[in-house]
Amino acid sequence: MGNNPQTIKKGVFIKMRVTQSMLSSNMLLNLNRSYGKMSKLQDQINSGSKITRPSDDPVVAVNGMGYRRDLAKVEQYTRNMITASNWLDSSDESLNQVGEQMKRVRELVIQAANDTSTPEEREKIKMEIDQIRQQIQDVGNTNIGGSYLFSGTNTNQPLFTPAAGGGKEINPALNAPNEAVNIEIYDGIQIQVNTPGKDLFQSIDDMMGKISDLLGDPNKTGQEIGDMLGGVSSSSTSDDITTMHNKILEAQADVGARQNRIEMMENRLGIREVSVTKQLRDTESVDYSKAITEMVTNESIHQAALSVGAKIIQQTLVDFIR
Amino acid sequence: MRSTFMGLEASKRGLFTQQTALYTTGHNISNANSLGYSRQRVNMQATPGFPTAGLNQPFYPGHLGTGVETGSIQRIRDEFIDRQYRQETNKFGYWESRTKAISQMEDIINEPSEFGLDKAFEQFWKGLEDVGNKPADAAARKVAIGRAKHLALSFNTMDTQLKTIQGNLGKELGVSTTQINTILKEIAAVNKQIQEVEPNGYVPNDLYDVRDVLVDKLNEYIPVSIERVPSGGLASKVAEGSLKITFKGTDGVVRNLVDGKDFAQFTAMGTNGSKVTGDDITNLFSELQLTDIESLEDHEAGTVTSSQAAIGQQDFEASKGKLLSLINSYGYQSTGGIKGYYPETLEKLDQLANAFIQEFNTLHANGYTLEEKDANGNIINASTNGGTFFVGTGAGGIQLNDAIENNVNLLAASSGVTQEGDGKHAYELANMQHKLYASIGNATMQSFYQGIVGKIGVDGEEALRLAATHESQRLTVSNNRDSMSSVSLDEEMTNMITFQQAYNANARMITVVDETLDKIINGMGRVGL
Repeated sequence: MGNNPQTIKKGVFIKMRVTQSMLSSNMLLNLNRSYGKMSKLQDQINSGSKITRPSDDPVVAVNGMGYRRDLAKVEQYTRNMITASNWLDSSDESLNQVGEQMKRVRELVIQAANDTSTPEEREKIKMEIDQIRQQIQDVGNTNIGGSYLFSGTNTNQPLFTPAAGGGKEINPALNAPNEAVNIEIYDGIQIQVNTPGKDLFQSIDDMMGKISDLLGDPNKTGQEIGDMLGGVSSSSTSDDITTMHNKILEAQADVGARQNRIEMMENRLGIREVSVTKQLRDTESVDYSKAITEMVTNESIHQAALSVGAKIIQQTLVDFIR
Repeated sequence: MRSTFMGLEASKRGLFTQQTALYTTGHNISNANSLGYSRQRVNMQATPGFPTAGLNQPFYPGHLGTGVETGSIQRIRDEFIDRQYRQETNKFGYWESRTKAISQMEDIINEPSEFGLDKAFEQFWKGLEDVGNKPADAAARKVAIGRAKHLALSFNTMDTQLKTIQGNLGKELGVSTTQINTILKEIAAVNKQIQEVEPNGYVPNDLYDVRDVLVDKLNEYIPVSIERVPSGGLASKVAEGSLKITFKGTDGVVRNLVDGKDFAQFTAMGTNGSKVTGDDITNLFSELQLTDIESLEDHEAGTVTSSQAAIGQQDFEASKGKLLSLINSYGYQSTGGIKGYYPETLEKLDQLANAFIQEFNTLHANGYTLEEKDANGNIINASTNGGTFFVGTGAGGIQLNDAIENNVNLLAASSGVTQEGDGKHAYELANMQHKLYASIGNATMQSFYQGIVGKIGVDGEEALRLAATHESQRLTVSNNRDSMSSVSLDEEMTNMITFQQAYNANARMITVVDETLDKIINGMGRVGL
C-alpha cells in the first residue's frame, strides 16, 4: 500500500521527482501565507474592526461609511435637541414667573378696588405694582447663553430698553413682528424654540402702566379699578388681568406642547442610535471569539509547518553516507 | 588481429567518462542553489565495436565492445513548462503591480477611518448645524469655518498625494522600459556567444540557463513569443540555437525584439512628445516606440534610425505584463480621452470638489451674514447676502475664501436681514448633505465619494485575488519545472556513488589487464628457468 503512488495523491500515477528547492519554495510560500493570515487576524483583533482597508471587503467598507454617517447625524440631532430643550425650559420658567406675578397683581387690584381704601393705601399698592412691572420687564430680558429669549430672532437685543422719558419701553430696534427661532431636530424637521415676546410683553406692560395710572388717580372709584380684573363679560376689556393671564397660560401651554414633541423625538433618536450602532457593529466589528479561535488555530498550524519544514529541509542523503 | 593493449584503452575511456560524469555531478551539486540552473546529465554511449565495417576488416567471430564515451552533456529542461511558467509570470506581473498601485491609493484615501475625507465632510456638516443652533455665537461660527478649512485641506492633501504616487508610477514605467532594454541587450549578447560556440559542436548549457532567466524576467514586463533558430555548422543535436524574440500586438503586427545578436530598444513616449519620466504627470503615456533591431556595434554607434511600428496601450493583450499595469495605473491617452486608474480617480475627486464648491457657494449666496458692530455697539456693516465661500477649482485647488476665514460674521447663517438669532440658513447649508446633485450623477456628496471608495475596494479586492491565484499557479508550474530541472542532492549523491564505483571498477580492470600483460611479458618463454 505504501508504495502505491495512487495512495499519495488521487489521480497521480507517475511519481513526481521532488527536489530540495521545491520543498523549500513550497515551505516558504506556505509560511508566507500563514504569516499573512495571522497578520490580518492580528489587525482585526487589534483594531476591533473586520476591515482596515476597502479591498478587505468593499461592501463592508461602503456600508460602514453609510452607517457611520447615520450615527454622526443622530449625534448631531441629539445635540441640537439639547439646545432646543434649553430654550424651551427657560421660556417655560420665565413665563411661569410672569404668571405668578399676575396672581399677585390680581390680589393687589382686588385689595385696591374698594372705595374704603384710602389714597395712602392705594399709593402703597401702586408702588408694589410698579415693582412688579419692573420685574416683568426683567423677565422679558431673560438671557440664556448670550441670547435674549423673547426678542425673536434679534437675540442680541434686549426686549426692554430704557425709554427716553424714564422707565423702560419695548426695544424699538426689534423687527416687527418677532420672527421664530427654529432649531433642526431631524432631517429637514425644524421646531420653533422661542416665544415671540414683543406683543405679549407689550400688552402686559401697557396693562401694568394702566393699573398704575388708575391707582395714582385719587378720583377713580373702586368700581373703575375693579374693572381691570376682567373675567366678567359685561365689564371685560381686552387689556384686563384675566385676559393677560390667559395669554400667558396659552404661551406656556404652547411651550409645553413643544417640550413634549422634543421628548418624543429624543426617544426616537435614542432608539435610532441603538439600532444604527448595532448595524455598524454587525457590519464592521470583529467577532472576537471567532477571530481569536482562528488565530490560535493558525498559530498551531504555523508551528506545525515550521517544525515539519525544519525537519524535512535539513536532511539529505549526505547525512547518511560516509 | 586486435591490439594487445586494447583492454587498457577501453578501460581508460571508462575512467575518463566516469570521471566526466563525476565532475558533472560535482558541478550540479555546486549549482544546487544557482538561480535558473538546470541539472546536467552526461549522455554516455558505447564506442563503435571492433572490428569496424570495411573492405579490409578481419574476420572476427562477434563484435567486440571497445568501451564508452561521452556523447554529450545535456541540461534537463522542458521547453513547454518554461512556456507555461512565462504565461503565468505575465499575468502575475500584471496583477501584482496593479495590487501595489491600488493598495497605495487605499493608503491615501484612508477609509474607513476617523481621519478621511468622509469624516471631514461629516465634521463640516455638524459644524454648520451647531451654527444653526447658535447663529450669533462667534465660537460656533469659528468651529464651522475651521472645519470648512479642514475639508478643503483634506481635498488638497488627497489630490497632492495621489499625484505624487501617479508620478512615481510614471517613473517606474520609465525605469521598467530601461530594464526591458537592458534585458533585450543581454539576451542578444548571450545569443551572440551561443552562436559563436555552437557551430563547433559545443553545447553551452550554462549560457542557455542564463538566457532562460533573462527571458523569464522579460516576461514579467511584457508577453513575448520565442522561436529557436539553429546555429548550423557542426552544431550538436542537443544544441538549442539562438533565440528570436518577438512581440505580437493585438493589431496583428509582429515586432522583432531580439533576433540572434541583434536587438531592438523601447522608449516610452508621453503625450507631449517627450519620454515618460513621471516628473510631469500631464505627460501621460501615449506609445512605446521601438527601434529597428540592430547589432551592439550599430547600437553604440547610434546609426540605426528607422523604427518599427509603435505599441499603443490598445496593442497589449489584456492583463498581461507589469508594463501594461503601469501604463493602466499611470494613465494614457486613448481615442476615448484620458484613461487610467489614477487620472480617472483624480478626475472623480475633481468632479466632487467642483460640484461641492459650486453648489455650496450658490446656496451660501442666498443666506444673510451677521451684521457687524464696532466696540460701541454701532452697526458698521448691515447684514448682506453671503459671498463666495470656497474659491478655486478641483480637489487640488479648493480653498476657503480668505475673507470668510478672517471674519466669521460673513458665514451666511440667517435667512433674513439682521436676524442674528435665525440659523435657518445654516441648517439649509447643512442639509446639503442629504441632497442629490445632477453634476455628480444624482448622488449626495458623500455617497458619490463612497462610490469612489467602493470602486477602489472592489478593484483592489479583484487585483489581490488574481495576484494570489496567479502566484499559486506560477508556483505550481515552477514546481513542475523544478521537478524537471532543479538539482536533487539525494539524486546527485546516489549518482556520485554510482560513478565513483564505476570509476573504481575501471581502475580495477586496468589492474587486471596489467596483470595479464605482466604474465605475457615477464612470465612467458621462461619455461624451466
